Amino acid sequence: MGHSLRLDAYLQFASKAFQREATYRVEVFSEIGSLVLRVYLIRALWTALYAHNRAPANLPLHTIITYSTVALLLSLIFEVDGTRQLREKIRLGTIATDLLKPISIPGSLFSDGVGTTLLHAMSVIPSLLIALLLVHVDRPPDLAAGAAFAAAFALGYAVNFLLNFCMNCVAFWTLETFALQLVVRWLSDLLSGAIIPLTLFPGALQGVLLHLPFAAVYSTPLFVYLGLIHGQQIGRALLEQIAWLIVFSGLGAWIWSRGRDRVVVQGG
Amino acid sequence: MQAWRIRLLTMLEYKANFIMWFAFTIAYHGVAIAALGATLYNFPSLAGWNFRQIAFLYALWMLGHSTHNLLFFSIGEVPVYVQEGTFDRFLVRPRDVLFQIVSVPNQQWPDELALALVWFVFATWYAHVRIDAVFLVAVPLVVAGGVLIDLAISLATATIAFWFVRVDTLRWVVMSLEQEFTRYPVSIYTRGVRILLAYVLPYAFMNYFPAVYFLHKSDQGLAIVPWLGLLAPAVGAVWFAAAYSFWRLGLNRYQGTGS
Repeated sequence: MGHSLRLDAYLQFASKAFQREATYRVEVFSEIGSLVLRVYLIRALWTALYAHNRAPANLPLHTIITYSTVALLLSLIFEVDGTRQLREKIRLGTIATDLLKPISIPGSLFSDGVGTTLLHAMSVIPSLLIALLLVHVDRPPDLAAGAAFAAAFALGYAVNFLLNFCMNCVAFWTLETFALQLVVRWLSDLLSGAIIPLTLFPGALQGVLLHLPFAAVYSTPLFVYLGLIHGQQIGRALLEQIAWLIVFSGLGAWIWSRGRDRVVVQGG
Repeated sequence: MQAWRIRLLTMLEYKANFIMWFAFTIAYHGVAIAALGATLYNFPSLAGWNFRQIAFLYALWMLGHSTHNLLFFSIGEVPVYVQEGTFDRFLVRPRDVLFQIVSVPNQQWPDELALALVWFVFATWYAHVRIDAVFLVAVPLVVAGGVLIDLAISLATATIAFWFVRVDTLRWVVMSLEQEFTRYPVSIYTRGVRILLAYVLPYAFMNYFPAVYFLHKSDQGLAIVPWLGLLAPAVGAVWFAAAYSFWRLGLNRYQGTGS
């Protein structure tokens, strides 16, 4: 990745991705349609569960509805996988010409992902408005929690990008990675707290899950948002996210250089 | 029959792929069931249903849905054929169009159905369902009804592609309605949604109403009689007949404008 950082080039990648995605307006509509159904389902399910059971400590109905709804909105952003192109580029062999260009491929994928994400983030706004018609979403308890949420979200976004990047790099070794990726996607949805809060899992399992890298993507930003962790706990959670960021940056760089060498050597 | 045999032989050619997709199938349903399990671990009763009963509810849906996917998956591809213009090749051949589409060679493995059978046997035992002559006769009929309901709705959705070429949005919404709303007892929804799931897109007949019968639950909302769920095959037949007429109508229109 030793190329000089040409910011304008990467901004171009981001804006190209934004324009490309904007042509698929139909998908935005289907996203909003399925979002309405899911928000309705969140309300129906948790309302029914809280009607006949004792609520767990510090998880009243409005908190869990906020948790699930914000998790759903976050998933609209996190499900954008800018690195998916990498798999196609490797499969078709066009990665070879990209390697000749004076840009960093991981950098261009990140910019592309950011551009795509920006468009999806814009579709989050109408989605949020519709969601607010169906359910009441709490705001973060105070300004500090809001700021900490922004930081945790940015770190979660970066960790998510690196996890996807490492997954897609597997295509350097085996071309059939689609099913594998879907398996990891489903499992990480469950283990990251994207479907239900990790605190609902039984004790010992919960302790493990809260410290896996998946938790850094969804669970940490959501707990910060809801004020379920505060003070020093927030600092520790952010540090843990940073630690995962460093670990996966290293792992990503290593896999990437190994994979690139394979292409260069094979290509002659 | 010949068509199924050829398909089976094709599948055996791709063994490594099969293992990957089997892992995917297990992960998909495993995650859904684990999330239900963790939720009901904290909240033991969902509108009077415990986790054992929810497991049975899921198993009934899974049996019908996976059988439908195995046999009729290619119907979902009709909008793609129409978009790409490859649909016309079915029209020039001397066989029923729907039969041809259903027998298009594809890579659908019976892995999901196998998993569904295993889970169903387990859930039946786990939920303490009484196995008697009625159960043994009714289950295959209910599953057949479920397959027909699934088939009717996917056929009707595909038919809309003859008028509006892009139906991805609609398909997506109907699909998530089916996959996510059938996981829970229909009684948790508001009246409009309950009526929709019972009598418009009758997914409730795939699992909810039959489960109400097999588990001796009561539903004050919509089930007029406890054995309503046993009408699943009849509901499936009626909805399929309606969907098939709609399909013929769409086909005529397509041929009318096409030539």
